[in-house]
Amino acid sequence: MPRQNETALIIGAGLQGCSIALFLARAGWRVTLLDKNVAGRHASSVNAGGLRTLMRDWREYPLSELAMEHWRHLDRLVGAGAAESCEVRLGVGQIAVALDEAEMSWTLGRVQEMERRGLGAEELLSATEVRKMLPGLTDQALGGLVSRGDGHANPAASTRAFRQAAMAAGAKIVENCRVLGLERLPGGGWSVAAASGQYEAGVLVNCAGAWGAQVAAMAGQTLPLKVVAPSMMVTARTQPFLEPVVIGIDRPLSFKQSAVGSLVIGGGILGKPYADHDTSFTVMDRMPEGAAATLEAFPALAHVPVLRTWTGLEGATPDGIPVIGPGEGTPDLWHVFGFCGHGFQLSPAVGDVVGRSLVSGTVDPLLAPFSGRRFDAGDAA
Amino acid sequence: MSINAPLPDADVIIVGCGPAGMAAAVTLAEAGRSVIVLDMQPAPGGQIFRSLEANLCDTSPAGQSLLAALGPAYRAGADLIRRFRAFSGACPGIDYRPQTTVWEVRPDGTVGWLQGMNAGYVRGRQVLLAHGAMERPVPFPGWTLPGVMTAGAVQTLLKAGHLKPSGRIVLAGTGPLLLLLANQLHQLGVKPALVGRTDRLSDSVRAARHLRPGGLVPLVKGLGWLGRLKLAGVKSVTGLENLAAHGTQNVESVSFTVGGKRQTLPCDLLIVHDGIVPAIDIPNAAGLRLQWDGPNASWRPATTPDGLGASTLPPEMSAGPCVLRVTGDARRIGGADAAMAHGRVAAQAILAALDHGAGPSADALRAVGKALSVRPFLDAAFPPGLAQALPDDDTIVCRCEELTAGELREKIRSGFRNMDALRGETRCGMGPCQGRSCMVTAARLLQNETRAAGCPPTFRGRPPIRPIPLGAVATLSGLDPRATIRLTLEDKPENASEDTVDAPAE
Repeated sequence: MPRQNETALIIGAGLQGCSIALFLARAGWRVTLLDKNVAGRHASSVNAGGLRTLMRDWREYPLSELAMEHWRHLDRLVGAGAAESCEVRLGVGQIAVALDEAEMSWTLGRVQEMERRGLGAEELLSATEVRKMLPGLTDQALGGLVSRGDGHANPAASTRAFRQAAMAAGAKIVENCRVLGLERLPGGGWSVAAASGQYEAGVLVNCAGAWGAQVAAMAGQTLPLKVVAPSMMVTARTQPFLEPVVIGIDRPLSFKQSAVGSLVIGGGILGKPYADHDTSFTVMDRMPEGAAATLEAFPALAHVPVLRTWTGLEGATPDGIPVIGPGEGTPDLWHVFGFCGHGFQLSPAVGDVVGRSLVSGTVDPLLAPFSGRRFDAGDAA
Repeated sequence: MSINAPLPDADVIIVGCGPAGMAAAVTLAEAGRSVIVLDMQPAPGGQIFRSLEANLCDTSPAGQSLLAALGPAYRAGADLIRRFRAFSGACPGIDYRPQTTVWEVRPDGTVGWLQGMNAGYVRGRQVLLAHGAMERPVPFPGWTLPGVMTAGAVQTLLKAGHLKPSGRIVLAGTGPLLLLLANQLHQLGVKPALVGRTDRLSDSVRAARHLRPGGLVPLVKGLGWLGRLKLAGVKSVTGLENLAAHGTQNVESVSFTVGGKRQTLPCDLLIVHDGIVPAIDIPNAAGLRLQWDGPNASWRPATTPDGLGASTLPPEMSAGPCVLRVTGDARRIGGADAAMAHGRVAAQAILAALDHGAGPSADALRAVGKALSVRPFLDAAFPPGLAQALPDDDTIVCRCEELTAGELREKIRSGFRNMDALRGETRCGMGPCQGRSCMVTAARLLQNETRAAGCPPTFRGRPPIRPIPLGAVATLSGLDPRATIRLTLEDKPENASEDTVDAPAE
């Protein structure tokens, strides 16, 4: 069998890698995933599990809408039982609260822009409406935005479901297998030297997350990526009072109440990443900002005890959206990383669109905004 | 512009105000060093001398009989507490901060504290962890029923609450504290229905070869307790196994096996005790190296003889050398005398690290050796009993999340083969206790299922290791300016209409 033909190696068996593997394997490709740890060890499993189109960057919006469609019918992708285990809760809504004039005016601008683009998913909320939807919200709230179809899912279970679905479709996963070097084969395709041996395939997909730029560098390609460690706080269980996910606009605010009653507080506060050691640390010195933003919005929560914090490693690009597409001059090497802390929701669409592009041999127009070329020198405008 | 590290708030920060912490604080203050002592309790004394000051002042007959029952070992702390108090508030001296919980310790000497709704960081040039021991967690069938308590908890209620237990009381387990408490209860007019020991005569016989001259006094003391219980007609058994507590709303009966025969006793209060082990939540979260103490089936921090810990972090992850020392029962179970002796040794080592003095004196080191010389005997005479065998599948291991040993075993077998993966999957250790109670059992289950040997693995400890109110987090003081540079994911989308990106179609 010609190695070029319909074979793919995917570096990184996180959610994006497994999702791409699933779609490719279903299209009849032979797919092997290589992971330096175990599948889904990092950002895929330890993110907050938000399923949101609310406040999505316009460039991500179409992909995000497609992803929502997949989440709504997750059973078709991963099977009914696995879909159940993912605890997908859509329709609880995500709400962005405007706590000052600047945030309110941004909100108004956002809604006008939605209308201009013919999108209807985000509705403006008055002060009264937002307070009614969010019991305990400060009287200072001026209004907000709601995306009623949004929600959340269990990230670890979802990562597992995609992984198992990819394997069921025929993808092979090699764990504890660090990639040591990449080499482009003379007639096209790639040879990968890894800890557990040599692998070859017609297409190589770099889904290495926080290590994406390192893998790109092995192929001689430079892509800008900062390794970050988004962190979260979890409180003791409290009386259920909040169904929607609450996010801030200019404030490091993001929280939801879990099914058991604990509050999961994020907001993009960053810990200390040590990508070379596969680990990261939460930094309590940075938590006051997130705690203060939460209390500014919900003053009654001051006495709720914070029980623990957590963090994980993620890659962030300079412009806040991922790199998805072939490398410069390498149609058989794709980069799919740098999701900047909001890749969980996108993952089924990423698998779908990247898979479709690889199978057809043409980059899907949905991926145009994500080309790594946008970072090329001299193209900064 | 470079930002400097924050200045230290004191020469030394001591965590814990029991015998070891007080002895060290006094030694350091005598040498003119500034010391901050952080302690959870409202008054100095730790667990052993809990509420001693207040109880010494209580001249009521009930107070006097309590003091008599608690005995001379309890009153022995009075002198040290007096000396500690003499330095409190002096300048330089001891800045004593009671009712203060420590929720993070970093190898560089930064200590996170919480007092009421206030929290923050303080920094010491050196830090001494004297946070003591905890009772060995003992998961057995029914251990989470109301009416099952540990011996330490009963002593706390006696000393600080002046509460005496009543009804049909069964004591089960092993160790000096169990016998001491049985005697104290008897002296207070509370006659236990049964003292059931897991240790056997053969343990004592084997232990005898460890006897050193220094161990004779505790031995005589222990034989005295046993003799008095016998005289009082308290029923006693040895070699107790397979303890279980039964009841619906609370404990109604206990059952156990002795000599191959299953017995059941009606019971209103089951007091259990399986020895004490070093509390390792602070050292573990601080990233200090731990070692496994096989005979005691417990972790303890790996330290030099003067208590200096070793950070497990690679140098690039830690800011400077590790300045954490561990002393007292937090380092190695030895009781109050050993704790006081080692507190002085650790303080002398700290003084040397602060360019003062030549380090621990031969006298001080000898005193530690003498106080610890009885431990091999006690360890052999009172081996872990209730927690010796791993719990049955139906027994709860993690009480915060109500997880049984069977649920954990199943997850381990299905592939969650390291502690953090197991925690992430099951939530074991994620509750308010942050694994203090369940970690050792989960680690032993994991080792047993994976047939691993060596030091059992721990959960990764992240701050806060004790709960902090959200309002206190919002106003944390003493932050490190190098760490607080605003670092968030700045990913708010622009409302600008330019949405086309020049991306060439492939």
